[in-house]
Amino acid sequence: MKKSKLLLGMAALAVTGVVLVAADHLDAPSSGGTTADIADFFAFEPETGSANTTFVVDLQSNVLPDLAYGTFDEDILTEINIDTDGDLVEDLVIQAIPRDGRMYFFYGEAADLGLNSQVLVNAPLGDVAISAETATVETTDSGARIFAGPRQDPFFFDFFQFNAVINPDPESAPLGFLPPSEAENTFAGANTMSIVVEMPNAMLGTTTALNAFNIPVYNTWVTTNRKQ
Amino acid sequence: MRLYNLKYIFLSGMLLFAVASCNNDDNGMDPEQIAMPTCDDGIMNGDETGVDCGGTCAPCDDGEAMAPDFSGTYAQVDHMGRPGINTVLSADMEGMPSVKDAFNVTVPSQMVAEFQAGFEARLEQYHDVYAIKLGLDPADVNYQNNILNLDATTLTTVLAADVLQVAPDEVTTYYNGTVGLTGRALTDDVIDISLILLFGGETGDRFSGQDTDNDGMADLPRLTSDGVSLTATIDAEFPYVSNPQ
Repeated sequence: MKKSKLLLGMAALAVTGVVLVAADHLDAPSSGGTTADIADFFAFEPETGSANTTFVVDLQSNVLPDLAYGTFDEDILTEINIDTDGDLVEDLVIQAIPRDGRMYFFYGEAADLGLNSQVLVNAPLGDVAISAETATVETTDSGARIFAGPRQDPFFFDFFQFNAVINPDPESAPLGFLPPSEAENTFAGANTMSIVVEMPNAMLGTTTALNAFNIPVYNTWVTTNRKQ
Repeated sequence: MRLYNLKYIFLSGMLLFAVASCNNDDNGMDPEQIAMPTCDDGIMNGDETGVDCGGTCAPCDDGEAMAPDFSGTYAQVDHMGRPGINTVLSADMEGMPSVKDAFNVTVPSQMVAEFQAGFEARLEQYHDVYAIKLGLDPADVNYQNNILNLDATTLTTVLAADVLQVAPDEVTTYYNGTVGLTGRALTDDVIDISLILLFGGETGDRFSGQDTDNDGMADLPRLTSDGVSLTATIDAEFPYVSNPQ
């Protein structure tokens, strides 16, 4: 039984030569390398004791030459979903979609649960010019801060060594990852297309969801959605 | 644009209705006048594309602010909660439908049911691969409960529900050795934390390049750190992520 499991495992690891780029960069055949590819997602308190929560969504990447990079796609709706009661179903949603050089943000109660969405046109949060090199930011009437444009990719990972580590060939990286003196951050020097929104917690409301340490948390996730 | 047109069609309909009402009152207005659109009658009619403009009238001024069109349905193509979950724990097999694609179009409330078993198998496969690389029997090298004392089923159940938790009232840390899952800061070393939880065992350093025979050479693989740290610049001010390089 163990042997058959192992054979199955070896077959599974002999993946079809798809180059995987984490955190989520180029993670799957259908979305990888397209303008809809989510590269990374962060959610944090911007400073200790802050009454705000910041969300950073990175789309696309120039870490490899064949990746899409450089332009927000007007057919792609980015959604930050927020579950505030622990059922893993979104209660609130922040939407971002570009039009003619500006990124438009919408925010409200999630209306379309599941895999299809429409823009919450009756719940605008604000809009901001898509930045070039230097950041242009806006503070909305409701006190949120918004940004969209190219940024440094803050992800760090020795991704090529990771591919060697998971390669089942016994000769491939038998000692695993490299010591710090030899390891290289694959994402050093890379850029990505960032959407950043900072919301007053008062706008997000209270949450009854708990993490594994019994601390109240928002359960959040980001999706990209293509116009049909 | 579409909204504006609809609005004007509605408006012109109202005007026509008003005019028709007048006619019904028989106040002497010539019905022919109604049927003759002009470029200064204050309504969109004839071949006009706006009120008294477009078509055979002067071009409409498109410089006016028009609400962008956000109509339509948008269908999900990609998903992300925690870093690296789909990349590391979903396994695509040649000739089979892509698990990674399926994961990206699954709602979080369904993810555990659909992907936890596959994630747990994948976690064990990684251990088997290193058993072979170490010249050991894969049956003898298995996942060991991690520093949070989570067994393989519990850990992969937590990870399969792929959401990023962020605490509104606590300091953000993906995991700092004591507390965690309160968010993900730009500076958090999420790869090392993930490797420790997957391969670190109960001490957190089960496979960390140990020299077991004191010959100055590593005898166990280094699987609990990828050896790299943050290189991008992080700013103190919003939007925190720095100008492109």
